[in-house]
Amino acid sequence: MTVSKYTLVTMVGLMALGTAPIQADSLKMAYSSAPRSMDPYPFGGAPTASLKEHVYESLVNHDDSPLLAESWSWTAPLTLTVKLREGIKFHNGADFTARDVVYSSCRMMHRIDGKRNLLTSSMGPIKDVVAEGDHVVHFHMKAPYPLWTQKMKFLSILSASGATTPEGAIKYDDKGDCGITNYPKRDQFDAAKASIGTGPYKLVSFDKSGSAKLVRNDAYWGEKGAWEDITIRSISNAGARLAGLLAGDFDLIENPTTEDLDALNNNEQFSFTSVPSWRTIFLVLDVNKEGAPGVSADKPGNPLSDIRVRQAMSMAINRKAIVDRLFRGNATIANQLAPKYRKGAPELPELEFDPAKAKELLAEAGYPKGFELSLFAPSDRYANGSRVAQAVTQYLSRIGIKISLKTQPWSVFAKARKNREMGTFMYGWGHPQGPAQMISFALASRDKKLGLGSSNYSNYSNPVFDKAIKAWAVETDEKKSDAFVKDAMTQAMKDLPAIPLYYQHTIWAHRSDLEITGRQDERTHAAMVKKK
Amino acid sequence: MLSFILRRLGQSSVLVLIMSVLVFAGMYVVSDPVAVLAGDDFTEEDRQALARELGVDKPLITQYLVFLSNIAKGDFGVSFVYNRPVLDLILERLPATLEVAVLAISMGLILGIPMGIYSGLNREKKATKSISFLTTVGYSIPNFWQALLLILLCSVWLKILPASGRGDTTDLFGIPVSFLNWDGFSHMLLPAVNLAIYKICMQTRLSRSGTQEVMYQDYMTFARAKGISKMRRIRRHLLRNILLPIVTITGLELGGLIAFSTVTETVFSWPGIGKLLLDSIHHADRPVVVAYLIGITLMFVTINFVVDVLYALLDPRIRYK
Repeated sequence: MTVSKYTLVTMVGLMALGTAPIQADSLKMAYSSAPRSMDPYPFGGAPTASLKEHVYESLVNHDDSPLLAESWSWTAPLTLTVKLREGIKFHNGADFTARDVVYSSCRMMHRIDGKRNLLTSSMGPIKDVVAEGDHVVHFHMKAPYPLWTQKMKFLSILSASGATTPEGAIKYDDKGDCGITNYPKRDQFDAAKASIGTGPYKLVSFDKSGSAKLVRNDAYWGEKGAWEDITIRSISNAGARLAGLLAGDFDLIENPTTEDLDALNNNEQFSFTSVPSWRTIFLVLDVNKEGAPGVSADKPGNPLSDIRVRQAMSMAINRKAIVDRLFRGNATIANQLAPKYRKGAPELPELEFDPAKAKELLAEAGYPKGFELSLFAPSDRYANGSRVAQAVTQYLSRIGIKISLKTQPWSVFAKARKNREMGTFMYGWGHPQGPAQMISFALASRDKKLGLGSSNYSNYSNPVFDKAIKAWAVETDEKKSDAFVKDAMTQAMKDLPAIPLYYQHTIWAHRSDLEITGRQDERTHAAMVKKK
Repeated sequence: MLSFILRRLGQSSVLVLIMSVLVFAGMYVVSDPVAVLAGDDFTEEDRQALARELGVDKPLITQYLVFLSNIAKGDFGVSFVYNRPVLDLILERLPATLEVAVLAISMGLILGIPMGIYSGLNREKKATKSISFLTTVGYSIPNFWQALLLILLCSVWLKILPASGRGDTTDLFGIPVSFLNWDGFSHMLLPAVNLAIYKICMQTRLSRSGTQEVMYQDYMTFARAKGISKMRRIRRHLLRNILLPIVTITGLELGGLIAFSTVTETVFSWPGIGKLLLDSIHHADRPVVVAYLIGITLMFVTINFVVDVLYALLDPRIRYK
């Protein structure tokens, strides 16, 4: 029996390797909801976007910095000229050129069986997309559309080599026909045949239940991916997701519950990373003078239309307690409707918490005994959503408002919101398109031409605010634009047609030997995961 | 027999029609697909255009009639969310549900009936008391909690079975199934056991009470007096007589498992049709929900029919006129 010293050493070494934390360079992630397709355009939503960003890239990055674009500028009030990065190749070896941008714009507008891609709305005011040479693209607008520099991130760039394109330049039209008849179908994207992007990973397989396998794109133009291959699965149940992490099925999972964080802290093998996201949670108040659904008082009119009542409601809410106790610190107090760490957002003073003063304000407004109010909140949409709504209910009833809380599943809630059946409701906005897109939709007076006020469920209308937001809507200069955002937000926070509560954090639970940088737009991407 | 079948068919079509009206109207009242699908950057005009494209801008009656006339053409509609034929969505997820349901039911029968007969025959033994205790516990544990316990035990502590997902599949006649390779089968085990525990308890109790009743019948005593062996008495005389209620319940339970394993499929993220139903309700995807529930109604009608036929085969006294 001769076992050489070297064999022993090797065996001990192997055993040590066996306990080594991460096998090879594989990353296994669990999403909390399922990506719907690898076709980049039909669906919005974080899970689909998270997955597709591994494979496709856009002209602009998620943090608004240039990605496939090198730079852009407004060469005319209605024309954005984008200079493209050179020397980038698609997964199939084809060069990335301006032609691909035009092709992708066409595919975005193209309707499958008469139905629009859900991301098409971002292309709304675009009249024409024209390639000039190989590395310059002009976007011509029907109306001023400075927001396009943000919204370009929804236009994932596909390779024109994926379809038979006409000879010469592709002529853009807003039906998406563009002389192209054989666009790749969704099935071909999902079968990893048409999923040709420029991204750091290539799609190997996608399953309609929401799992995907990816491999590193070794010819990637930027910083190469840290992982040779990635497996993504979707598990909607938080308990099962965590169990999967503890069982070693996953290296990283999205959105553990707040209750599970202590257990993760006490476990040496696992930890969690909590990153403030852009998603702002707020209360929407219907300030219509005539009255609001679910709001009644012992004198005529709508109490919510009185600014003192709205200030009182804001003062009654102890945001710090919500953040510290309900979220155990994994949320940030909100003073405005878009966080100050969102690029372009202003920094406004803190909102007061003063229940005594709130009571005085209510009395001053003529409601010393309060009034009746139905508060609506989605039960399955935001982390701890129902409990936050309960907390708000308690705070508001402490200053004498008789409040009845109605939490509903999202599909029911969304319908009631669309039909304007709720006078007061809780809502969240993720701000992927800059800090002012929300207030321009939710607080501005309706302006069809500029696309303002489509979701103004507050029925808020203030000339100072409208003036600032209208100026913002046509301003292409970043500095001036930011100043208008500040004016508008300041006015909105004076009037409080919507009461900000907190900024949600995105939480990832993971093996403790991984380091997560995290992203603020609630996406989960392998690029934010590194080995320690 | 023929008139029996025809009458059944007539009854089922009325049932399906009523079902479709209820679900259609219910989904219409409760949720609005445009509100769920439209992103936060949809303008009012975008929302109206989307409603037009989905065909939900028309009055409810018109929508329903269009739906009926499409069904007459064999078209169950297109999912609002996925923009794909509903039938495709359901059919591609059905195999996953079926294989787990069949495995769970088989476990229930194979373990439940022998345990039941044993405890029926040996009332005073210790094992009987433990079986009785265990079945009571198994009956009472909430399904989702039991699922999490199973994951904790088998995946987190013992690390012997995967916690979720479907694993590798093998193509059987072009249909991907999990039970033909070990990886896939190991993924099936936990969801199947989770569904099976309740079934095992139920089958045990059913066959025990059946056994206790049949055991004291005159023919059993007579068979014993004739000197027939114990095993033969159990097989020929006892088993055949306790099977009737078991067949009925098993049929219905199989239907229930196929249609409503929603909780188990969600916890184990098993990509079956129960999870599809839940997701579709969440997303206000009416075509899927309506088609699904119509399909389920048809399935229950069929299962009941098969059970009735089995009755006739098992008990020669029953004849349908």
